[in-house]
Amino acid sequence: MFRNAVAGLGLAPDGAMVTFPMPIFLPESDISPLEARKQEFYDGLMRWRPASAGAQAERGRVIALDATDHEQALTRFNHLAIANLWGDGLPLWMPTQARVDWILRGSALPRTTVMGKMPPRGGVATVEACAVALAMAGGRPEYLPVLIAAVDAFLDPSTNSDQLQAASGSAFPVVIVNGPIGRQIRLNSGFGCLGPDPQHAAGASIGRSLRLLQQNLGGAVPGTGAMANYGGMRYTNAVFAEDEDGLPEGWQPHATLRHGFERGANAISLVFASGAANIRRRGAKKETAEEDALQGMHRMADFLRAPNLHCIPGYAQGTPGVLMIPNIVARRMAELGWTQRSIVEFLWEHTKIPMRELKRSGSVSWIEVDTNPITRASLALDPWPIAHKPENFILIVAGGGHPTNSYWLQGYSPAVVGRRIALPDNYEKLLAEADRDLGLGS
Amino acid sequence: MRFEFHDPGGALTVTQPHAPRIETLNDRKIGFLTNDQWQAFRMLPKLRELIAQDFPRAQILPLDAFPQGNAEIPKETTAELVKLADVDAVIIGNAS
Repeated sequence: MFRNAVAGLGLAPDGAMVTFPMPIFLPESDISPLEARKQEFYDGLMRWRPASAGAQAERGRVIALDATDHEQALTRFNHLAIANLWGDGLPLWMPTQARVDWILRGSALPRTTVMGKMPPRGGVATVEACAVALAMAGGRPEYLPVLIAAVDAFLDPSTNSDQLQAASGSAFPVVIVNGPIGRQIRLNSGFGCLGPDPQHAAGASIGRSLRLLQQNLGGAVPGTGAMANYGGMRYTNAVFAEDEDGLPEGWQPHATLRHGFERGANAISLVFASGAANIRRRGAKKETAEEDALQGMHRMADFLRAPNLHCIPGYAQGTPGVLMIPNIVARRMAELGWTQRSIVEFLWEHTKIPMRELKRSGSVSWIEVDTNPITRASLALDPWPIAHKPENFILIVAGGGHPTNSYWLQGYSPAVVGRRIALPDNYEKLLAEADRDLGLGS
Repeated sequence: MRFEFHDPGGALTVTQPHAPRIETLNDRKIGFLTNDQWQAFRMLPKLRELIAQDFPRAQILPLDAFPQGNAEIPKETTAELVKLADVDAVIIGNAS
């Protein structure tokens, strides 16, 4: 209760709250409405009763719907989804028992397995609930292991997902997948890996289902349970694979570098981001290879060197963000002697912000109020590094074989959480069925 | 035709997530948990003052009786401190 109370309006719908229009919460506001409505506070402590008092524990229900045919049933279900706030406004599949059972073939765990409660509402995150969301999002059984791992990571207390769910900063989960499963389930690691791609539909389905869980179990409905001002990237979140085939010789997959999983392990890494932006990395004229690489590095670092401060929650242990570079850039830079380590060290060094700029923008106060002593102690540094240490930066090779751009997922992430992906015994069969159904080959 | 589907809202296990209410604030111990943001540093002292006026026998703890800040309020250690203080009611703010 304490935790949710300051995370936004993410309390159970029948929480004892006194709510005011936003102006009273702004600097130098008129707080006289407080006195005018003091009785509401007293009533909240003395007379208020929860609407659900005495009710039995709510169970996962099966809902019946009458229709003349499948066409009408699907239409009626989607109308119900709008009315009951179950969806994202786009068409959904109906999570019939048959479809959910089909999806559940992708789980290595029993359907009743509980992973935790999705904050702030507290809906129980079971394997079955994951399958329901994946069914609604147009998913397939072979996607389920990735979703389960992502949900498990999402619920790790170190992510502060309970607060980020409700907070105004528009945080969205980013799920980076390593291991052969990425290619096997058609996760995109190349061109357009953060967007729609009929050849690689897995990322959108998995990310959309994670979002549905955040909303349907977690109560993160815009304007009530989720106060994100903008909510960008929230239709599908960001789920993609690292381009491991494109890693230069000697470079490690992210899951190995960050989480210590052996190379080739199927694993996910979950961070929260609050923004996504393209960076024009390539030079425009007759630069030498060295100039192109170095100028590109400066251009990326200059873009990141901003007193935006979403990096503060992740200053000590998390990440300032995820920098994505295409495989051709990674290979070229490796040929020139750049390593994963030297790149993040460069970024760390060249994204430092002069203290006078932090003071000018009032950013110092955000650092001062942070609870992590490492973060507060960083105020002694001038210029101020945007992360405690270079390895907090996440460098990912992904995005297709074209050298012009890189991409920055602005971190808003107190932690970077890794999870192994558990596969069911029948996984090869599921992949064969996917090949049969989709016909594209993995 | 009848179609059946799983409730997308799943299940809840919490049946009584709220503390019992109290009959009066007089002769009761009232605590505050503040994140010190969204004008809580102005609004909660004002609310404390109002309670003191309207319930003169209430024992109202100071705003800094418990750890303050968004990151401190959720901690189990904070919850333990609140329990140890044996308060009858707690007001938490401000969320926005």
